[in-house]
Parts: sequence; structure tokens; C-alpha cells
Amino acid sequence: MATHETVTPDRMTPGPTRAGDLLPPARSAFGRLREIAGLWLPALPLILVIALLLLAPALSLVIGSFRDASGFSIDPWIRVITRRGDQAAILTSLALGATVATLCTLVGAPVAWVISRMLPGRRAAWLALFTVAGNFGGIGLGFAYYAILGTVGMLTLAIQGVGIDWVPPRPSSFGGLVIGYLYTNVPLFVLLTIPSMGALRDDWWEAAQVASATRAQFWRRVGLPVLAPFIAAGWLLIFTWSIGIYGLAYALAGGGAAMTTPLITLRIGDILATDFTETWRANVLSVILMAIAILSLLAYRVTLRRAVRWFR
Amino acid sequence: MSSVSLRGVVKRYGSVTALDTVDLDVASGELVALLGPSGCGKTTLLRTVAGLERHDAGRVAIDDEDLSSVPTRSRPIGMVFQSYALFPNLTVRQNIAFPLEVRGRPAAEVRRRVDEMLDLCHLGIQADRYPNQISGGQAQRCALGRALAASPKVLLLDEPLSALDALVRVRLRDEIRRVQQQVRITTLYVTHDQAEAMAIADRVAVMNHGRIEQLDHPAAIYDDPSTPFSAAFVGSRNAVPVVVRDGEVRIGPARLPAPVGTAGTDRLVAYFRPEEVELSDDPEDLPVRVELVVFLGPVTRLHLDAELDGGPVRFHLDLPSRQAAAHPVGSLRRIRIDPSLVRLFPAATEVHP
Amino acid sequence: MSTAGRRILLGAIVVYLILPLVAVFLYSVATVWQSRILPDGYTLEHYVAVAVDPRVQGAVLRSLALAVLVTLIDIAIVVPAVFWARVRNPRIRPIIEVGAAIPFALPWVVIAFGIDRLVGEWAPSWQTTFPVLVLAQSAIAFPFFYWAVDGAMAATGIARLTEAAETCGARPIQILRRIVLPIIRTGVATGTVLVFAVSFGEFALARILVGSSYDTLPLWQAQALLRTDDQLNELAVTTVLSFLVLFALAAWLVARGRSSGASLAAGAQVGTPTEAPR
Ligand SMILES: Nc1ncnc2c1ncn2[C@@H]1O[C@H](COP(=O)(O)OP(=O)(O)O)[C@@H](O)[C@H]1O
Ligand SMILES: [Mg+2]
Repeated sequence: MATHETVTPDRMTPGPTRAGDLLPPARSAFGRLREIAGLWLPALPLILVIALLLLAPALSLVIGSFRDASGFSIDPWIRVITRRGDQAAILTSLALGATVATLCTLVGAPVAWVISRMLPGRRAAWLALFTVAGNFGGIGLGFAYYAILGTVGMLTLAIQGVGIDWVPPRPSSFGGLVIGYLYTNVPLFVLLTIPSMGALRDDWWEAAQVASATRAQFWRRVGLPVLAPFIAAGWLLIFTWSIGIYGLAYALAGGGAAMTTPLITLRIGDILATDFTETWRANVLSVILMAIAILSLLAYRVTLRRAVRWFR
Repeated sequence: MSSVSLRGVVKRYGSVTALDTVDLDVASGELVALLGPSGCGKTTLLRTVAGLERHDAGRVAIDDEDLSSVPTRSRPIGMVFQSYALFPNLTVRQNIAFPLEVRGRPAAEVRRRVDEMLDLCHLGIQADRYPNQISGGQAQRCALGRALAASPKVLLLDEPLSALDALVRVRLRDEIRRVQQQVRITTLYVTHDQAEAMAIADRVAVMNHGRIEQLDHPAAIYDDPSTPFSAAFVGSRNAVPVVVRDGEVRIGPARLPAPVGTAGTDRLVAYFRPEEVELSDDPEDLPVRVELVVFLGPVTRLHLDAELDGGPVRFHLDLPSRQAAAHPVGSLRRIRIDPSLVRLFPAATEVHP
Repeated sequence: MSTAGRRILLGAIVVYLILPLVAVFLYSVATVWQSRILPDGYTLEHYVAVAVDPRVQGAVLRSLALAVLVTLIDIAIVVPAVFWARVRNPRIRPIIEVGAAIPFALPWVVIAFGIDRLVGEWAPSWQTTFPVLVLAQSAIAFPFFYWAVDGAMAATGIARLTEAAETCGARPIQILRRIVLPIIRTGVATGTVLVFAVSFGEFALARILVGSSYDTLPLWQAQALLRTDDQLNELAVTTVLSFLVLFALAAWLVARGRSSGASLAAGAQVGTPTEAPR
């Protein structure tokens, strides 16, 4: 009887069925389980990977940065923030990211504009070149630096060959890192911003002409205001990207003794490779890097929302 | 007031001849509609006047001043783009002020003039909205206001209503005409909609393949097409293939003298309107069978099958809708056509717009 | 911009982008290159040296295995999840989106460190093993696959097609195999190339997770570069070779048509402001 009673109301008021639901409305605990499985099972492996290999490690770092032998503590943070070497690494990483992003913007924005207005065939060729260059990074690119701008690099020899006494920036110096970083990041900036250059429609320039505006007037009053947020978004992306680069930095400035430019990523890698007693320091630095990246990415979102506000 | 004049204007894109020796004169204060199917060169003609395209040959002049070497920004024109091309980062007010500000007009004058334009285009409430916050019709009026703000001599409109839905379209069409007559500005108006062209224009230029086929007042274009293309494109005409026999053409009992220059057995096409076909009881007239009855609102169109010169022919006949019930599908009737309303053109140039 | 200015700008860019490739290539075929702009002589012996060096062989094979396994895993976990998110359970999507944002937002050094920490805490015997590297690489590379596949599904209106297939009586597995997979082939191809390229060349993850237990190609390259045992020519050879792999993959994609070369740009797709006006 009891069973009967519990079933009846179910029959009389069948649960809402969504169109396309594979399973009949749940009738029992087992049926409910099946329903949940039907909704989530195909995505389960990916969700597990995300949870265990991305979310959990990030969380564990954040939690770990607030612990020492005695339990919860902000001591590790204080010790990192107050230490010269770590401060230098943080500031240098920020400065490097900002410098690279700014230079990328100055070079990349005009290039992206010019390429976005090319005929499709030509544009495809340029995109291919930038794609290849943008993907040539890491150790291989670091090596190319030595081959070109090393003490016996191609360009060094060429310039000295014509009698100019020129010493190229050392790869591990700030300038050397900037040159190396620019190589992948300028193409990346161009590839990122070309689509948004399409936001500036050709008929606005025509309408401006009809309205008697000069080219300069058009850029100042319409072109730049429309594109600026997109370009700023590109800047933020390159900034985020740059401060997280490790392979290339390692190739250029990672050779232990040659390490003249401290960077957060290099500090982390170095500590993990050599000094197990300092892992907590790497942990705090990681969380700082994480925080910078997340903040800058949030700024990117906000900027992009601003950028598209005129188009919704 | 100013006039526009084009003489022998040619524009090519590679192998495509978009404008093929176009001659056109627009009188001062007149509105000429450029009417033709998509791809016939209407936009190109307009952009040539605006200086956004360089013509390859010929002369474009406003008030007899040759504009060939004058850049767009120095031409005395205003233009409404098909997409409106409103600057997205400027409000309605700022968009309308733009042509005045880039000309360096004093702020007070700009303000006064913008207010005038907002008034003229009924945009007072929307003045401080951005283009993505206003409706299509309002965007259209804003584009019109911007085009007129700097008091140009000539107004160019490229399918200004094509992005709007049918109801708004008719209202705005009359609106544009009102504004145009109020400021009495010389206007070129591009459209592919013949009803729109007829309704708004002082004269209509029918274009085809980069040429102006006919330029005349709407009524004349409607009643007296001078080319088979105009005949086929304007109005929905019957196009009935006929043959010249003994110096005349017969459609049932109706006889027309063959046009000069045609010989026996030449194939022609007879064009006439559905409302010009009459039902009759005369046993002499052409027997037809009702194949399809299409209700079009005020009128109902009968599709009628007949036999002419040994071949099957379909006629369209428009009736006031109240009378249509008497002619169901399958009924046999007779029709008659007034020969004076039929236009004959050689069959080779028959056109399906 | 004036035509001349444009020419100069683009010309300079081309030189800047091509020079490193040329330099590395010359290095790989140079006998000695010490004092002149171009090498003193040319030889293929470094290619031979690389081919017979067991350490390089091991490193290349390991990197290949890594890239292949990661690609297979990402196909297997991403396609069903995205398909399900699109046609059956939209609540899956935000989870994937958050997951996909992590490898983009967080430097991979940081993620690698976090994973290493967790593994050290929960399964110390797995630390520095190849399976952990494969899984970690699958996790950070999955967004590339996700963006490619999700874009393809959106572009072809997969939800509507699935509804149509359902009205024809098809079961989910049949729909996936007979409708979805064939339609999103291009997206899968793009995603495959992206994931493969990223995994083949990834340094940060390998360095943090593997340390010095064994080599992948980038690990070997880093050692060749920074240790002074004069393997620079061999390094040049491996750089040229991995570059050729990358180039071949890109060419294959372009030859398949439709997908623009741009999609290869690592991570470039993320949140790209492609919202077109109107
Ligand atoms: N920029 C261009 N490049 C090449 N061909 C063009 C271009 N603009 C227009 N055409 C061609 O010129 C012809 C006329 O085009 P258009 O003036 O836009 O026609 P309409 O406005 O009457 O539809 C068409 O055949 C079109 O394909
Ligand atoms: Mg047009």
C-alpha cells in the first residue's frame, strides 16, 4: 500500500519534461541517478580533468601560500614581499610585461590595420607568416637570439664588419629579453587585433569624407575612439601573456650565473629546480603571478565590454 | 539651388562596366529616383557623384562646375548610406553636428543648426542616444539629418529604406519627400523598389546594365515604357510572345499594326498590364481557362491559359476582388485587350527582371 | 598611412620575422661560424649527428609520444563534453569555460608547480613520471581543442541538426558518430594541430614536472643551449626539425582549406574580440 501511495501522486502530476529529454521523468532514486548521469556523464572526464588538474592545483597553491609549519600564517607572504630579490623579480616582471606590451601595441596596431585592409589573398599570406612567427618561441627562439645577436651572432658580425663598434644587448639583460619577447608577441598582437580592426567599417570613413572631414579628423573623432578599447584589450592580453613566459626567459636568462634579470617565472623555476627548502617562496611567488594574471585578465574583460558597447 | 549634370560617365571594375556612358541632368530642387535591379550600377552612379569612386571617362558637374578633380570632402554634397554609416561612438546629436564641426563652424551656430535638424527629422527625444540605442527608422532619420546639416547643394540617398520593414518604409518615404521639399534640395535617390520610386520622385531614371534606359515622369514611365526593359521592370506586365503576320500582330481578335522596321514572321513580345485585360462575352474574343486565382487585396489576379498562334500562352488579368468569386478555377471565359495599350518590342531583347 | 610608409613598415617586419629562422637554419648546416656574416662552410653532418644521437632520439620520441597521447586524450574528453553541453545540458558549459580560462590566465609554470605539489602530496611515487606529464599537458592544452571544436559546432548549428536527427529516431551515440563528428571535422583538425603543436614544444610544464629524470625535446634543447658542451649545431638541427613539423601541420591545415592560418597562433583565439558590428 505504502508503495502505491508514493507512486500515485507521481502519476497524477508527471514532472515537467523538457523537450528532447532522453529519459522518462524520474520515478525512483535509481531513476533520478540515471537522469543525473544522462545529463552529466559524457562531460564527466573533462570535468574531472578540470577539477583535479587545473582547479585543485591552483587552489592548493593559494592555500599553501598561507601556511607554514605551524598552520595558517601570512608569514610566507611577508617574507617574500619584504625581500629585495623577490621585490625585484616582481617589479621586473611587471616592467618587462608593460614594456613588451607597449612596444607590441606601437608596432602591431598599425600593422594590423594595414593588413586588415588588404585583399583576402594577400592578407592570408601575411597571416600565415605571423602565425609561423608567433609559434616560433621557447628554446628555439632563444637560440636564434644567440645566433643573431650573440657575441659572434650574424647581425653582430655584420654591424661590426662595417666598422661600427657595437655590442648587442646581452640576452639576459632587460633589453635582450624585450627583443626576444617582441619576436613572438608582435605577431600575436597582430593576429589578436586584426579581427577587431573590422569593427571600423569602411563606410564610416566614406561618411566622414562626405561630411567634409580630413583623414586626421576622422581618426581623432571616430577611428581611434572606436578602436582604442580593442587595442587596449590587446595590450592587456600581451601583458598577461608576457609576464607568464617561461621557456624563452629560461633560454635567454636562465643560465644560473648569467641570471642578471630577475623574473618571477625564473625565480619559481629556479627554486623548484635547486632549493627544496625554499618551496614556500616559489609558492607565494606563484600566487602573486596568478593574481597579476587574473587581475589583468579581468581588466581585459572590462575593456572588451567597453569596446563592444557601441555595437550591441 | 543647384543642378547636377553627368555627361558620358563611364566606370569600369576590371571587366565589369558598372556605368556605361551615362548622361543625366537633375534640375535644381528636383528629386530624381534611380530605379533598377540589383547590380545595375545605381550605387556606383551615386558614389561617382559623391567622388567616392573615380569615373574612367565623362564629366560630373554640380552647378556646371566640373568635379572630376575635387575630392569628396570638398564636394557640396550630403549622403545617406544604405547602411546609414552612423558613427557608433557619437550620439545622434554629435553625428548630426559632425559635418559642421569638422568644417570649424562656431559652436553657437552648430548648436542652432543641430537643433533645427533634430526638429526637421523629429529626433528631439533621441538626440542623446547612441546609434545602437535607436530604431532603424530613427537611425535613417539621423543619417538624413547628418546629410543635410551642412546645407549641401545636392543630397544623395542610397536605398535609404531598404533596411526597414514595410510599414515604416512607407511612412519614412513620405517623410523623406516632405523634408526634401521643405529644404528644396536637389536629390538623387537610389532604389530598386518601383513603387517607392514612383511615389517619391519628380522623375525616374530606369537603369539596366550600367545604362539609363528611360528618364521620365513617373506616370510616363508607367504608361509609356520606351524600352522592353522598362516595360518589364516597371509594373508587372503581361509579356506575350507574338508573331508578325501580314504586317500586323494579332492577339485574339485584337489587331495591331506591326512596328516600323519589322518584317513578316518576326517574333515580338507584347507588353500590357493585367488591369488592361478585360473579360468579355463576345464570342469573337479570345477563349481562356482560369488556372489560378490569386487574392492580392483590393484586386484579385486571374491566371488564364489560352492558345495563341498555335502555342500555349498565359495571361494575367486583374479584377476588383469583389467580382472574382464569379470566376473559379476551371471556368472558361473570353478576354479582350485594347490594342492601344499594348507595347510591342522585339523578342530577342525580352527581359526578365 | 602613405604607401611608402606602409612598404617600409611591412618590409621591416618581414626581415625581423624571417631573420631568426634563416639564422637558425644556417647554423644547422654550418661547419664553422665564427667571424663572418655567413658561415665559413656548409655541411650536413650535424643532421647525421642528431639522427644517431640516442639522447636526442629518446627526447624526440618522448615528445612525439607526449603530443600524440595528449591529442588523443583531448579529443576523447572534449568532444563528448562539448556536444553534450550544446545539445543536452547547457549547465556543462560554464564549467568548461572556467576550466578553459585557467590555462590561459595562469602561467603554465604556476599550474605545473601546483600539479607537482598535489602529486607530491597525494601520490609521491608518481612524481616526475611520464603519465603525470601527459595528463597535465592534456589539461593545459584542452582549451585549444575546446575553442576549435566549439566554434565548429556553433558555426554549423549542431543543436538544430541533433534535434533533426532525433526526430529521425537516432540515438545519441549514432548522432555523435554519424552527424556531429563528420560535420565538425574541420574544427577537430584545427584543434588537433593546435594541441599537437603546443604539446610537442612545451617547455615549462616538462621542466617543472620532470626535472632531470628524462628528456623531452625542449628539455634537451635547453640543456644543449645552456651547457657549454658545444652542441649548438645539433640544437640548430632540432630547432629546424621541430619548426618543420610545426610548419607541415600548419600547411596541412591551410591545405584542408577554410581554417585560416591564424588559428594556429597559440592561444590567440581566446576571447578574441570578434564581435562584429551589427
Ligand atoms: N568595388 C567594386 N569592385 C568590383 N566590382 C564592383 C564594385 N562595386 C560594384 N561593382 C560591380 O559593379 C556593378 C554595379 O554595382 P552597384 O553600383 O553596386 O549596383 P546596384 O547598386 O545597382 O545594386 C555590379 O556588377 C557590381 O558587381
Ligand atoms: Mg546598391
